[in-house]
Amino acid sequence: MGMLCIAVLVIMGGADAVYGQSSGFTAYIYPVGNLKPTDSIPTLKIGDIAPDFTLPAVEGGKISLSQYRGKKNVVISFVPAAWTPVCSGQWPGYNISKNLFDKHDAILLGITVDNIPTLYAWTKQMSNPDEKLWFPVLSDFYPHGAVASRYGVLRSEGVAERALLVISKDGIVRYIDVHDINRRPLLEDLARALEEASNH
Amino acid sequence: MEGNKRRIVSTLCILLAVSLLSVTASFGAESITVLGGSVKSDSGGNQGIPTIELPMPVSEQGKSYLGLSGTGNFKIGQIKSQVLIIEIYSLYCPHCQRAASRVNELLRLIQERPDIKEKIKIIGIGVNNSMYEVESYRERYKVPFPLFPDLTMEVSQKFNVRGTPTFIGLKVNGKGMLEKFYFAEGGFQDAQQFLMEIIQLSGLK
Repeated sequence: MGMLCIAVLVIMGGADAVYGQSSGFTAYIYPVGNLKPTDSIPTLKIGDIAPDFTLPAVEGGKISLSQYRGKKNVVISFVPAAWTPVCSGQWPGYNISKNLFDKHDAILLGITVDNIPTLYAWTKQMSNPDEKLWFPVLSDFYPHGAVASRYGVLRSEGVAERALLVISKDGIVRYIDVHDINRRPLLEDLARALEEASNH
Repeated sequence: MEGNKRRIVSTLCILLAVSLLSVTASFGAESITVLGGSVKSDSGGNQGIPTIELPMPVSEQGKSYLGLSGTGNFKIGQIKSQVLIIEIYSLYCPHCQRAASRVNELLRLIQERPDIKEKIKIIGIGVNNSMYEVESYRERYKVPFPLFPDLTMEVSQKFNVRGTPTFIGLKVNGKGMLEKFYFAEGGFQDAQQFLMEIIQLSGLK
């Protein structure tokens, strides 16, 4: 049972089902139940300059958004929290889709409001021995959720939304998807957004 | 009075049980005990397993492997094979990612044996995955057997799948109908050993 990704099925109103697929060991994934789809006030819109930030990375050191200016398109993936169902089954998909990001000359920055030790344990558990996470995972822990807040994706309970933003090399926000927190965004939607951003 | 009440309650319980049984019978449901659970058949299509329809593979190679032709949907009972191994997986599941090379190895082992090559086929079903996500997985792991999306999870729910990867073994029984003989959550460590298990449990000759 350890070698199993558990599918958490929450039946909503009969036919509609929410599927949270968590990676890793069943016992470690905290069942959050069905949450309010979105719970934050937008602060950014398409065409805005993406606010710069500097956050500590799990691999050590700090990462600033501005270091990619003029060099890489940037995808920011905010996820609510480590050790929760859908989040644990989102980044592993991006981890094996590096080609998609490379194709569009893009880097992925994964951000949660968890602290570094938590993110260390979680990402270590979700990655393969043969395939370590290729993208930086950043901690927006202290001041708590400051970056998520600036990006308008901090929920009232203090975790981030499940949000994807694409920022083109010129630092402009080209795509915002504050997704239903209970669902995983489709990869093709991100692919389309990257295609569009890479044209700028 | 108490005795009468008990008799009435007992009679009601029996009537309820009988009516439930007749409802089940009217749907032609047949419960088959399998490793790790049970599944109910429906009245049409393949006796012993749910009716599963999948989109026809786009590639001629995929169609040829499964012995199919045409367009639209097909029922898994139409696949030309005595034994069908179904892997329920997801692009987003690290354990499926880890298992990918072993499942490819399983297909290679089958293809290398002329005695079973046409008798055992493999398909993958990407639970909660779109076609794009299925193709991304195929490309990443060079999956040589047909993969199908199950974005709405209809297929995986019909098989009562709770986690990924899950491996399901179906076989054509003596009556020419599909029957489930294997159901296991989690991957396998050794493709050769898994193949031997499948051959043994299916009774393939």
